[in-house]
Amino acid sequence: MEANQQIKTTAVKGTDTARLVRAMVKNIYQSAHEAKANGQKVAYMMVASQYDEILRAMDIVPLPTENYAGLCAAKRDMDRFLLKAEADGYSQVLCSYARIGLGFDSLRKELGHIPEGSPDGGMPVPDMMLGSSAVCDPRFKWFQATSRYLEAPTFGMDVVAPPPQADLNAVRDYYIQYQRDQLSGLIEFLEKQTGKKMDKERLWEAIRLGDKAWQIWYDIDRLRVAVPSPMPSQDHFSIMVAGHYYSGTQIAVDFYQKLYDEVKYKVDNKIGVIADEKYRILYGGGLPPWHTLWIFNYFESFGAVFVIENVYRGFDPVEVPSHVKDPVDYLAWRAFLRFTRYHEKARAHSGSPLVEKLLGLIDDYKIDGVAFHACRSCRATTIGQTHIKSELGKYTSIPMMQLVSDMVDLRDYSEAQWKAQISAFIEALEGRGK
Amino acid sequence: MPFAGIDIGSTMTKVVVVDDKEKMLASHIGPTGVEHRHLALKVMEDTIQKAGLQFENLNFIVATGYGRINVPFADKQITEITCHARGIRSLFPSVRIIIDIGGQDSKGIKLDAEGKVANFVMNDKCAAGTGRFLEVIAETLGINLVDMGEIALKANGFVQISNMCTVFAEHEVTSRLSEGAGVAEIVAGLHEAIAGRVVNMTRHLGIEKDVVVTGGGAKNVGLIKVIAGKVGFPVLTPPEPFITGALGAALVGKDFYDRGVRPAGEREKKEVTFFA
Repeated sequence: MEANQQIKTTAVKGTDTARLVRAMVKNIYQSAHEAKANGQKVAYMMVASQYDEILRAMDIVPLPTENYAGLCAAKRDMDRFLLKAEADGYSQVLCSYARIGLGFDSLRKELGHIPEGSPDGGMPVPDMMLGSSAVCDPRFKWFQATSRYLEAPTFGMDVVAPPPQADLNAVRDYYIQYQRDQLSGLIEFLEKQTGKKMDKERLWEAIRLGDKAWQIWYDIDRLRVAVPSPMPSQDHFSIMVAGHYYSGTQIAVDFYQKLYDEVKYKVDNKIGVIADEKYRILYGGGLPPWHTLWIFNYFESFGAVFVIENVYRGFDPVEVPSHVKDPVDYLAWRAFLRFTRYHEKARAHSGSPLVEKLLGLIDDYKIDGVAFHACRSCRATTIGQTHIKSELGKYTSIPMMQLVSDMVDLRDYSEAQWKAQISAFIEALEGRGK
Repeated sequence: MPFAGIDIGSTMTKVVVVDDKEKMLASHIGPTGVEHRHLALKVMEDTIQKAGLQFENLNFIVATGYGRINVPFADKQITEITCHARGIRSLFPSVRIIIDIGGQDSKGIKLDAEGKVANFVMNDKCAAGTGRFLEVIAETLGINLVDMGEIALKANGFVQISNMCTVFAEHEVTSRLSEGAGVAEIVAGLHEAIAGRVVNMTRHLGIEKDVVVTGGGAKNVGLIKVIAGKVGFPVLTPPEPFITGALGAALVGKDFYDRGVRPAGEREKKEVTFFA
């Protein structure tokens, strides 16, 4: 095999609509380049930060750096960026998304231009960088480190959620007030960078579109309870692009409506992902292996379909009280309600919101087995995974497995090891008489 | 009505033949190593001969182990996890947890009350916690792998070996030796490190009685003692830990046959090919 030959990493999709996503991904980076050329502001940003709609309302073009790392892995063009970041002193245990981003920015600075052949044309230099503490700490610190390579003002927004044991009635107002202050601080920063005031009506419109898209996305996932499965997890890992990277736009709404129609048609006509669905698998957690998404098709070759997943559609729709009239207040309320969605259930049962969520999925989606992906460099989704798996084992006896690698760093992946584990997992499912 | 199981591991090929009452008729252990890879068929034929049978008499042959995929004379390929579970369960009906310490990997297997595999864990892509780890260090210390268990039992305490990377551990051992540490104490330290890693990995499944340790690691009395200490109660070992995978493979073959599954086609009496 020639060294420069493109290796296939992607999975065969189950829906036609999911195949439209590749163009949407290309458009993210192309739009950012065009915006820069037209003098529009471009921001490095972190998705699911609860501020996504604010950027849309202020005509700031979002440039999701984590997504770019996943794209590099899918193209198997990550090593030069990972190695550059490591050469600059960043540890191999640091988030590999961050290492790719830092390596890319470092190389661009060193070369004086975007590294040759960067996937989808690479990322332009941003006008600002917007970190976020939602999900994990690298998302907060990454852009501070990036300041070493480029000059762009940084704002890190804190996103908070109370622990499951908290009395929500007692703490709600404090959390919402704090979140509102954080959002207001961000808006003040953005107004300074763009030189214009944020239009609250436009923010309401972006929120309306954002909520609508996420509602349809949720409805699609509810359709996926059907047997046979109409849409597999590998499609989810593509179609999440609309919800996260086009949040607050009509594009996301239209995309999900189209996908909903297709999935509904498949459900109505009992069209499954594969002809003979034997086992229904839950992707229990961990970021997906962007470097080897075809592994989902490998499971399918044994009749095992990943029918639902616990990653990337992190929130179910929530109902913000009608007395909330200000859009910034609405965002603060929505964040609080999203993050506390399973708290009451957890207090009444296992103590863990995540265990409650997984148990609900196992039941609703008629799950036969659970597979987790432990990513060596993603503490947020991997620490606690073994514990959650053990806790889950107290309430269900279905087989579970944990594959270990990384979301983008191929050096942590072993194909032989994975295939051996998958064979054993399939045999465990078979042994249960299905 | 005989059935055969062949387990091609990283260092040894094991074959077991059982009858339809699940009684072992013969077993044989032969080397696998690079220069011996062509011998799998020979190990199989030797075992069949030991059982007083001929190839054609075998109703079903199941291959397991890392070399299972390329066995031209097998009727089915099944993973070591399922085979160890079946083999150990036939020897110890009360087993709930199996710890398999093989040459190239280590595994924890949890069985449900009916003896089915409920869950499992495997070491990641690293030699730590495997027979290979001990083999490399035995070479560094200039002792035989098979003597390590007895040597460790004579130790006064143990020297902490903190590095589980085989290469770095080798350096650490050399440096401990130069500091004057005794070989027995170093070997005991290695057992502590391996047992700690393997038991911790198995804890992910929830450890409960009875625990059976199998694979080459089960031959090491020093290691078994440390594992029992970490588990908190005595652990069981099979009379011949090397062959439990092959035994399980033979029994899985019998299970298939009992369910009406028959060999799909002509068996090719050819040697195992590891590379295309």
